[in-house]
Amino acid sequence: MGGKMDVQQGTLALMILRTLEVLGPLHGYGVARRIEETSKNTLSLNYGTLYPALLKLEQEGFVTAEWRPSENNRRAKYYSLTAAGRRRLAREARDWHRTAELMTAFLAPRGEEPV
Amino acid sequence: MRFLRAALARVRGFITGHHSDSEIREELDAHLEMEVAELIRRGMQPEAARREAMLASGGLTLAAEAVRAQRGLPWLESVIADGRYALRTLRQSPAFSLVVVITLALGIGANTAIFSVVRGVLLKPLPNRDGDRLVYLRQTIDGPGGSSILFSVPEIHDLRGCTRSLGAIAEYSPWSLALQQENGTIKIQVLLVSGNFFDVMGLVPLVGRLTRPSDDGAGVAPVMVLTYEYWMTHFGGDSSIVGKQVRMDGEPVTVIGVAQPAPFYPNNVDALLNMVISPHHTSAQMVQGRTHRMTEIVARLAPGATVERARREVAAVHARMMQEHKEAYDPASHYRVEVMPYKEALGERARLTLWLLMAAAAFVMIISVANVVNLTLMRGVRREQELVVRAALGAGELRLRRLLLAENLLLSLSGALLGVLIAIGGVRVLVALAARYSPRATEIRLDTAVLAFMLTLSVAVALVLSFAASLPKEGAFAAWIAAGARRMSGNVRKQRLQRALVVAQIAVSVVLLAGAGLLTRTMIRLSEVSTGLETEEVLSMQVPLLTFTQLDSASDARAKQDYDRIRRELLGVPGVIEVGIGSNMPLRGTDVSFEVKAEARPFAPGEAVPRADLRTASPEYFQAAGIPLLAGRAFTETDREGAGKVVIINKTTADRLFPNEDPIGKRIAWTGDVLRFTPFTSEWRTIVGVIGNTQDGAMDAKPRMVVFLPFTQSVALGGAIVIRADVSAAALIAPATHIVHTVAPDAPIERVMTVAQLKDQSVAPRRLNAELISLFGSLAVIVAAVGIAGVLAFSVSARANEIGIRMSLGADRWRVQRMILSEGGVLLAAGLAIGIAFAFLALRVISGLLFGVAPNDPATFAIVVVLMTVIGIVACWIPANRASRIDPAITMRMQ
Repeated sequence: MGGKMDVQQGTLALMILRTLEVLGPLHGYGVARRIEETSKNTLSLNYGTLYPALLKLEQEGFVTAEWRPSENNRRAKYYSLTAAGRRRLAREARDWHRTAELMTAFLAPRGEEPV
Repeated sequence: MRFLRAALARVRGFITGHHSDSEIREELDAHLEMEVAELIRRGMQPEAARREAMLASGGLTLAAEAVRAQRGLPWLESVIADGRYALRTLRQSPAFSLVVVITLALGIGANTAIFSVVRGVLLKPLPNRDGDRLVYLRQTIDGPGGSSILFSVPEIHDLRGCTRSLGAIAEYSPWSLALQQENGTIKIQVLLVSGNFFDVMGLVPLVGRLTRPSDDGAGVAPVMVLTYEYWMTHFGGDSSIVGKQVRMDGEPVTVIGVAQPAPFYPNNVDALLNMVISPHHTSAQMVQGRTHRMTEIVARLAPGATVERARREVAAVHARMMQEHKEAYDPASHYRVEVMPYKEALGERARLTLWLLMAAAAFVMIISVANVVNLTLMRGVRREQELVVRAALGAGELRLRRLLLAENLLLSLSGALLGVLIAIGGVRVLVALAARYSPRATEIRLDTAVLAFMLTLSVAVALVLSFAASLPKEGAFAAWIAAGARRMSGNVRKQRLQRALVVAQIAVSVVLLAGAGLLTRTMIRLSEVSTGLETEEVLSMQVPLLTFTQLDSASDARAKQDYDRIRRELLGVPGVIEVGIGSNMPLRGTDVSFEVKAEARPFAPGEAVPRADLRTASPEYFQAAGIPLLAGRAFTETDREGAGKVVIINKTTADRLFPNEDPIGKRIAWTGDVLRFTPFTSEWRTIVGVIGNTQDGAMDAKPRMVVFLPFTQSVALGGAIVIRADVSAAALIAPATHIVHTVAPDAPIERVMTVAQLKDQSVAPRRLNAELISLFGSLAVIVAAVGIAGVLAFSVSARANEIGIRMSLGADRWRVQRMILSEGGVLLAAGLAIGIAFAFLALRVISGLLFGVAPNDPATFAIVVVLMTVIGIVACWIPANRASRIDPAITMRMQ
């Protein structure tokens, strides 16, 4: 358990959008499982974090939601990406790559630091 | 855009309940079930799988709460919840809520009403265009009647030519004219104005046009502009009046327009005319006579100029005038010119009274809030348990404060609502008061600014109340709960605050009571002042048959005949003892006064030439008015035109001109350059009688010098008819006005008043002052008494256990009573001491409103101390008595 970390602020929305892009319409459980699997179970995602984030994306118009029967014949709420959501994902993924590169370079071990 | 869309989605969520609680729950449950199913599929026992899934979820309820927070408008939802909760709590203690709401309503209502008057009369910008650029100029000299002697046309000419900071100067002259209509003649108050008047004043017409420079001078057509109020009240707001002709003093005058509503100084008028209606105003005498001062001036500051610069410039010009025209400025009289903003001049007479009332209202507010704070603190102690439980259950300090704020806002806004009703009633009374002091009384209303003031006041009160209460500190819950959360009232800080508030309440009440006492004594003193008349059953009225525009001898003779006929017919009315005719009614002031000198008695160098009021009287006038003859004789029928010129002087004149001598037979004469412009002459006149002083103008007026001329030896101006009755004077009003109407159908009848009414007119404004401040004082005392009683009662209930122990150890009822009484006595004594000291210092500012009593009058202060002490002791005695009836057995068993 000690290895698990909380989701960093601002990154959850990006993960959700990416999950929906890759897997198509999905319910909250599916999104959570996918994120946990992708993180190789290093991320723990409780409901109180996930569902407000989903609702916020819905309110902002990046995802839409509808009730559909699920695999085990229950009703579940399925989320799917909108056009605006796609655009946002593309933009934020680009920004994120840049930031990640910058931080990697910045935090590189001492020996590789340019003098 | 994105933000806006999200916000809209939230509002929609709030209104429609979209993403309802059950939906949220269903979604979360579905998630949980899928998780459980997955765990079972991986080989877990169903029980264990469910537990594992629950643990991983982080709590479904918390999650649902988090989604709800994202869903709608959580703050609004919780505000509504707070409001509901507050309403419920307050309903549980109706007595407390009622007392608080009423106390606050009194404070807020009084303050709102008085603030609306202060704002309307003193603070609100003038309706005139750039009204803050208008300045009023006033020339004054020493001595009675010198507080405003107006300006002469040559003086205005000098000011106009030599001051750059005064952009334009308008002239106006208060006047009264007879408006002749089919249904009778009425006297109306007007201003005779220069053509540029409205332009300088920055006023626009509502209908038609206003005067312009082409209306100046002689030989133009007389025109009249109606004021808005007069147009509404007398012409019903009918704009077809514009262009019509009316008869004023026998002359046809064209109504050219209606001016926008605006106040005029010194008093509001009915209409404004160009000067040509009064031949006097366009005559060479008036235009060239430097001492012929009968014009007011108002000026507009030049762009960039300040009042201060205008003041310096005007002083310089005035000094030069006095150098160049020594004959027109008696150095002993100290001629000065004041320059003040026009708005300030309009508010001048009301200022002291209004700020006094505002201060009194603010004091009432302070006491009310102090009381409510005390009540809240005491209630807070009883609620400690509830608050501790809430805090222990996780309500943060902010949340608790918000709860309290919701309650207090509910209380103070209810108070404000009730206060508005009080204010609406109060403003009506106050407008009548303000109208006596200010031409701007019509501008008083409860407008948005006033309501904003009230709202701010209520919210401020709610904030004070919410933050005065102390809350359980985090981490201290255990101790509180362990203590049974029962008697945490030993809390010293709170008791100290409560006591300090009681002391402050008493102190403030003492100041208010002292103020009320001084004003009440002023009023009593005033009504005790002797009018100087020997009887009150006198009816008088003013019937001017002659006007300044027709002073020819034929009109004069005709008027005198008419007066004689009126007099003889009035004598035939049953109940009438005597009828006299004169220029002025007794007890009413006059603005006709001239310099006067005694024969063979030159003035010492530097001695100011005395001025005396000029009045005329028929032989029967003094007898009819009840004015006592102190020496010599009254006028007789033989003192007629052509006979030796005689006068009767009052006691003040005799003392001033002939100290320690018998004035009978001596001669005096009017003097001064200004006589040239009047129908009065400067020949020597023999004194035949001395009469007693009368309080002309006001009951608190300083005695003035008065010289009477025989009615028949002077022009018949004024036309005061004085009727002495052996029945009630008021009963003669109908027959007397009927007789005047039959003899002179065209004559206006003004001011039909008994002497009692005349006297009352002078006392009435002071009475209203005294009554209002006394009302505030009584309110303050009642609230303060409730305050001290409440705090002691609370102290008694907090000490019930201690008192029980004392009593079981042998203390008797008297001892317990004394203990509580002395607890209250300390507060009372401290409040009294502070209050008296403060009153002693503060009440000096109202000395201008007092008469016959010093602002630190020991008798008044003594009465206040006794009154407050008695009320305080009664207030203390109620809880003390309750303490003495505590049954030790019961109290101690309850612990």
